[in-house]
Amino acid sequence: MNWINKLQTIDRRIIYILLLVVCAIPLVKPLGVPLQVTDMTRDVYDIIEGLEPEKDVVLLSFDYAPGAGLDAHIVPVAVVEHLAQRGIKWVSVSFNPEGPMMADLIIKDLESRGFKYGIDFANLGYLAGQETAIRLFALDCLTITTDTRGNKTTDLPVMQGIKTAKDFAFVHQFTSDDPAMWIRQAVDPMGLRYAVGIVTVSVPSAMPYYNSGQIKGLLGGLKAAAEYETLLGKPGRAVAMMDAQSMAHLLIIGFIFLGNLGYFLGKKQGK
Amino acid sequence: MRKEVPMLITFVVAIIVMLSSITTGPLPDVFKNHISPWMTIVSAFAVGLASVNLTRVHGQKISRKRDGWVYSLILLGSMFFYGIFRSYIEINPSNMAAAENYALCYNHILSPLSSGIWACLAFYVASSSYRAFRARSMEATILLVSAVVVMLGAAPIGAQIWSKFPAVQRWLMNVPNMTGQRGIIIGAAIGSFVTALRVLLGIERGHLGGTQ
Repeated sequence: MNWINKLQTIDRRIIYILLLVVCAIPLVKPLGVPLQVTDMTRDVYDIIEGLEPEKDVVLLSFDYAPGAGLDAHIVPVAVVEHLAQRGIKWVSVSFNPEGPMMADLIIKDLESRGFKYGIDFANLGYLAGQETAIRLFALDCLTITTDTRGNKTTDLPVMQGIKTAKDFAFVHQFTSDDPAMWIRQAVDPMGLRYAVGIVTVSVPSAMPYYNSGQIKGLLGGLKAAAEYETLLGKPGRAVAMMDAQSMAHLLIIGFIFLGNLGYFLGKKQGK
Repeated sequence: MRKEVPMLITFVVAIIVMLSSITTGPLPDVFKNHISPWMTIVSAFAVGLASVNLTRVHGQKISRKRDGWVYSLILLGSMFFYGIFRSYIEINPSNMAAAENYALCYNHILSPLSSGIWACLAFYVASSSYRAFRARSMEATILLVSAVVVMLGAAPIGAQIWSKFPAVQRWLMNVPNMTGQRGIIIGAAIGSFVTALRVLLGIERGHLGGTQ
């Protein structure tokens, strides 16, 4: 086998090892590649900046499972950090059975920093039924009678004055799935101010809703989380991971180039 | 009667749901107070039914020691362990230690395993991109160039290489991607509406368990 053929048949184990190395180095020593903040991210930031801490309550819908990975989880971490910085109260609900556990991961961190469960935030847990459950909850938020800790929903200070989804100043869904369910069942019929945090691969399918104005802000995975951290002035894990992503993308493009170089040289040689 | 009654229920419920969105009379309340909670109960019941089926199928596999029966055992063991554990927490909500331990199992077993599987995809994507993206034809070349531009535009390093990469990436996402996505969304919506209409009128009867 000559070197031209070798360019087209690089052992996948070499690709795996190199990918691991180029991802690991920036995580240990971040490169600090400057990040541009997109309008989709800034829109969410501006909405939260415009909320009133004493008055407004935000609804967060955690509709993803650990299988969606850090790409899904890092977005609500950044958004909740912003809400915490501004002192905005929030309530979480889930239409995915594993969603409440994901919300609890964030809540645990907030509690360790002195924020109070029930006053600053609450986790209402999971409501079965997906699309129909979204509709039911939007029309009657008190349909969930107890939160994940067994407290009566009506007794929670953060839930005072909340009856329907319209009573929330802003609704933010975090999902690894399609945002269309929320849009169909609650956002359009009730005229909610709604944004979505979604895994990167699902961004193209959510774009039409953003451009039509049905989604007021769109946070697409790790990149959006990194942009959000930049806006908050607190570069954290997501920013460091974007360096790793940059390196990984460059490596993959490099391999694609080598594969095509081998292909064309081989074709030329064949003639 | 076995078909007529479910069809009648489907028709009546569908009409109420449809009219509840466009009328202001008593129907929105009927939907909110009755139909919507019923749907939630049915969905929850479906999870219970699925658990029974899962137990039946995997129980047989374990009792007959078919290939991979150990995995079935782990599956059923995990399901019952979590089911019983969660039920205990629901019955004793004040027991915070139990809730903590429940979260511990979840956060330290399921979360890392699920995230690990997701992370492994990066390696497969890298390897398959290298093998699949060959400029063999005009279409393949367009796909290849688009993919490279989107990758560079999405990563911060792209703007450092050429400042126009993010703008080109945005154009690709906002114009060709949007056109395709809108077509898919509108097509799927029309398809869903037609299917719903067929179910409503009793033309589509697959959900009743019989033939058309």
